[in-house]
Amino acid sequence: MLVLFLAGAPSIFDSFTLSQILTKALWLGIAAASLIFLSSYGGMISLGQTGIYAVAGFTMANLVHAAGGRHLGWDPLAATAAGIAVATLFGVLCGAIASRSYGIYFLMITLAISVIVFYFFAQVTTLSGYGGIRSVTPPAVIGNPVINPLPLYYTALAASVLIYAGIRYLARTPFGLALQGIRDDPARMQALGFNVALHRTLAFGVGAFIASIAGILSVWYTTQISPGGINVAQTINVLVIAVIGGLYRLEGAWIGAAVFATIDNYSRVWMPNVGDWLGPSRFETVIGLIFLVIVLASPGGLVGIWESVWARRNRAGRGPTQSSRNPAPETVDAVVDHHEAV
Amino acid sequence: MLRPQRNVEFRRLLATAVLGLLAVTGCTSNATPSASVIKIGILSDCQGDFGSFYNDDIGGALAVLAAHYGGKASGAKPQDGMTGAKIAGKDIQIVGIGCSDSTANKAIDETRRLVEQLGADILIGPLSGDEGVAVANYAKTNQPNKTFINGIAGAQEATLKVQAPNFFRFNPDGAQWSAGLGSYAYNKLGWRTAAVIGDDYAFPYTSLAGFIAEFCAIGGNVTKRVWPPLGTTDYSSFVAQMPTNVDGTFVGIGGAGLITFLKQYQQANGTINSKKVMGNLFWIDPQLLKAIGTPLVGAVAANMIAADSTSAQTKAYVQELSVYPDVQKDAASVFTLGYWNAMTALGMALTSVNGDISGNQKALQAALAKVVIDGPYGKVSLDKNRQAIADNWVTQVTAPPAGSNVPGLKTILQIPAVDQTFGGFFDSSSTLDRTNPPCVKKTPPPWVGHEIPVNFG
Amino acid sequence: MAPRILLALLGVVVVAWIAYKGGQNGRLFWVVTLNGITLAALFFVVAAGFTLIFGLMRVVNMAHGSLYLLAGYIAFTLQASWYGVSSNLLSGNPATVVAWVVPLVIATVVIGLAGVLMQQVFLRWNQGQDLRQALITIAISVILADQMVAHFGGIAEAIQPPAAWPESVTLFGVHYGFFRLAVVTGAAIAIGGVLFLVIKRTRFGMIIRAGVDDRSMVSALGVNIQVVFAGAFFIGALLAGLAGVLGGTMLAVQPGNDSAFLLDSLIVVIIGGMGSLGGAAIGSLALGLVSSYANVYLSFGTTDLTNYSILLTFILVVAMLAVRPLGLFGRPA
Repeated sequence: MLVLFLAGAPSIFDSFTLSQILTKALWLGIAAASLIFLSSYGGMISLGQTGIYAVAGFTMANLVHAAGGRHLGWDPLAATAAGIAVATLFGVLCGAIASRSYGIYFLMITLAISVIVFYFFAQVTTLSGYGGIRSVTPPAVIGNPVINPLPLYYTALAASVLIYAGIRYLARTPFGLALQGIRDDPARMQALGFNVALHRTLAFGVGAFIASIAGILSVWYTTQISPGGINVAQTINVLVIAVIGGLYRLEGAWIGAAVFATIDNYSRVWMPNVGDWLGPSRFETVIGLIFLVIVLASPGGLVGIWESVWARRNRAGRGPTQSSRNPAPETVDAVVDHHEAV
Repeated sequence: MLRPQRNVEFRRLLATAVLGLLAVTGCTSNATPSASVIKIGILSDCQGDFGSFYNDDIGGALAVLAAHYGGKASGAKPQDGMTGAKIAGKDIQIVGIGCSDSTANKAIDETRRLVEQLGADILIGPLSGDEGVAVANYAKTNQPNKTFINGIAGAQEATLKVQAPNFFRFNPDGAQWSAGLGSYAYNKLGWRTAAVIGDDYAFPYTSLAGFIAEFCAIGGNVTKRVWPPLGTTDYSSFVAQMPTNVDGTFVGIGGAGLITFLKQYQQANGTINSKKVMGNLFWIDPQLLKAIGTPLVGAVAANMIAADSTSAQTKAYVQELSVYPDVQKDAASVFTLGYWNAMTALGMALTSVNGDISGNQKALQAALAKVVIDGPYGKVSLDKNRQAIADNWVTQVTAPPAGSNVPGLKTILQIPAVDQTFGGFFDSSSTLDRTNPPCVKKTPPPWVGHEIPVNFG
Repeated sequence: MAPRILLALLGVVVVAWIAYKGGQNGRLFWVVTLNGITLAALFFVVAAGFTLIFGLMRVVNMAHGSLYLLAGYIAFTLQASWYGVSSNLLSGNPATVVAWVVPLVIATVVIGLAGVLMQQVFLRWNQGQDLRQALITIAISVILADQMVAHFGGIAEAIQPPAAWPESVTLFGVHYGFFRLAVVTGAAIAIGGVLFLVIKRTRFGMIIRAGVDDRSMVSALGVNIQVVFAGAFFIGALLAGLAGVLGGTMLAVQPGNDSAFLLDSLIVVIIGGMGSLGGAAIGSLALGLVSSYANVYLSFGTTDLTNYSILLTFILVVAMLAVRPLGLFGRPA
């Protein structure tokens, strides 16, 4: 139902809102979804998604006609496939390295991956176009996203829907179920004969695949890609989006992204000036505060808050309701505490 | 049992989210274009390395409206906005003041917000080199029917390579800002070999290229180029790599790192010998000079500004900035001047076409291409790539006046009519990076040997 | 066995390469080595605080870098407004010893208290939820970073060392910065010594060591673990603050230093092991020397790879995390 609404959105919202907020929320949501897939079904909180989507974006940008980079003139669709393939492979490699780490160590190793990717593109200027690859040619299907934002919007929407459905489907397959078992108790799964490291590596690869799609969309959306857009700040942004939406709710990815994009855009217009503490350029403070409040109050993010509000209402009316989701851990760390002993 | 419940909850959540979004976005109206209003957006950096120059940029642009076109400041700070300006009978509406952070990504975001959401017809900005190239590309590919006038972005590529027909730059690029120094080093200081050091990104490549091109064209040799990478906080290893057997060193380290670099340079090499070092425009920006102080006294740098100029045009320019006293103090800053140039040119062009921005702004763009600004530091005109040709000024840092510890500046040479190509040394296929331009002897740029000594004493 | 031999071989190659290059230009070699050592000293001070907090409380304090930077700004502001010390490098109101020490002490103590405040308000009630605490401290660092830019501006500033101290000294025919060499390195050694004595010889230190090994048992033994935690956090934040003032004098105080030094602290404790002071010392030396040497010697003939020195650092970190996730001297909780 929501999908139908979003499909009809162009007729309601003006074209700027469409492109600046909705499309941005869609691709940022996909990036956050790759993080939430890993955290929700795999128990792995990864800061490496930005690095991976950067690899996809830069690969694609270098292959097509653009201003900067290698501009090899490939067909944009082929370049897209290549970008996704390279990034997914990179993700599997990173997963293999990180698969034996848990909790904080996993967080740090994935942070290091994103930082490495950033510095790599910042230094290897033949691949990053000395400050960015600009005017990247999108496929003919997309056209020029600034002049006509509709095709990109629908592409992002379709991608989001497919990814959402795909993840939910994957969660029910034997692989998905094994992954969730590993999330809950890796020692037991290992004892049962599952190759824990392999499952985690493959899961990371799936996350990389999703992130790479976000990366490709981000390049078409901004019409360019530069190291400045994939730095540590952006890595933290993706984390913030995922947490705000809800680290254990897949829908949270897009909710968080929508909130983020809306605040980012409107804070410059509406923010009151409170001395030096608040003002139109203090977007980071505002988003940091929201992030802080959410982490303190509700690890389930906005979706978690929502569900507990409705659950309380239902309880008042009808008696206790069961949790409607695959029981997600109350806190971030209940999951991970198991692993500290490893 | 579980699924319908989840669906209901979820639907409610999303319905609320969507209604929320509608409420928020419905309030913004993309006003229908009106024939009697011209919408201008201004874009600068309020975060990042150059965030502290935000007020200077915005103030430089808006002061023009206050001085010539009846604008009234809405507050003490330039970012509060300005109302009431009219050019050629058309109301000028400042639809928004963009805030970027010196990255291309943010600049594009803000440009799109100003142009697409707020409906700006004309955009003035951006600030940093990378941003300028990104905006120029955006202008060319995505907004051919709007006009973009550069703020103070100095990367050569933005005009020489991109060549967007609707992107105008009324200030010299980074290389042009170094014009005159290569020749001064070779002829006046007697340098035959030099080493250069600069931060490893687009703007320093351009800035140093201007020195290298001139110095090498007349026979000098640049033996070593050191490029501290992004994010360097400790320059000591790079200072250690600077050869001591060269006649001089050209320093192109930017604002934030310059203080650390100079401190470590002195610790390693003793007091700076002003005849053996030379800097680019960063050395003579007022804010930085205050922070760096006296170690640079006697050294020479260059800029499009002659800080001690006493000409009538300079006085008029400083007077125009009186609407914002804090900005007026920084009148001799490229940040203020760059944006002032942009708005001045826009005002002149709009006046000459009677405020007509119809027909995809073609008349306006044609008029802009022909504007000649009789600026505070010389005349500014545009070449066929819509890139400024302007005078450059070689300046010497002097001892602080009595009772102050901020060094003075004395302009010593005027370099007339510096063009972007350095007389053919650069063209649209030039790449500027860690090893380019190569150090080759060529036809010297036209101004070598024609520098005009000046004394504003 | 095979990986160890490989690593040993790699080590020999690296040392030989540096020796070869060093021999070519002895002066440069000494300067670069001293750079590495003095940088390592600074890293040690900041990372010691970080590793103490993690080792004892399992809190990855991602706001550690923000505390570092804030201390620098506080000291700089105090120096400028109370003593009129100008930010000129050499002239202006010369900084007296008092004008450096007083801001140092005040800034350090303020940051120590800020750290305790942060711990009591945000971290005390969710003990054990490591990832949640990491997220909380990330949020705090984002807010602090933005507020610091808003209040202190984007331009780099430098804290002035006392003018009475020499600018540089000559060591083996090499000019080297006095402050870097004597003060920072001296401070690091002194702090290392003091911390070692406290941890190994005092009761408080004993409790900390026990707490690192087994938190619940210490609590069960009747020790007021909350007071110990607060005390340890105070010390950790104090060290960050001290490093901030030292770094602000040695280098500069500018936005971006917070994430830079946070990443550096992370690298140091990853290499050395969480919770181990000795590990922090080794990790700092490793990071300081590797980055200094790589900045200069990572060039082979005409291929100049020195710009990739930072990549090398992170690749080493990833390798360490993959091969020995607990670091050289770390122990699981």
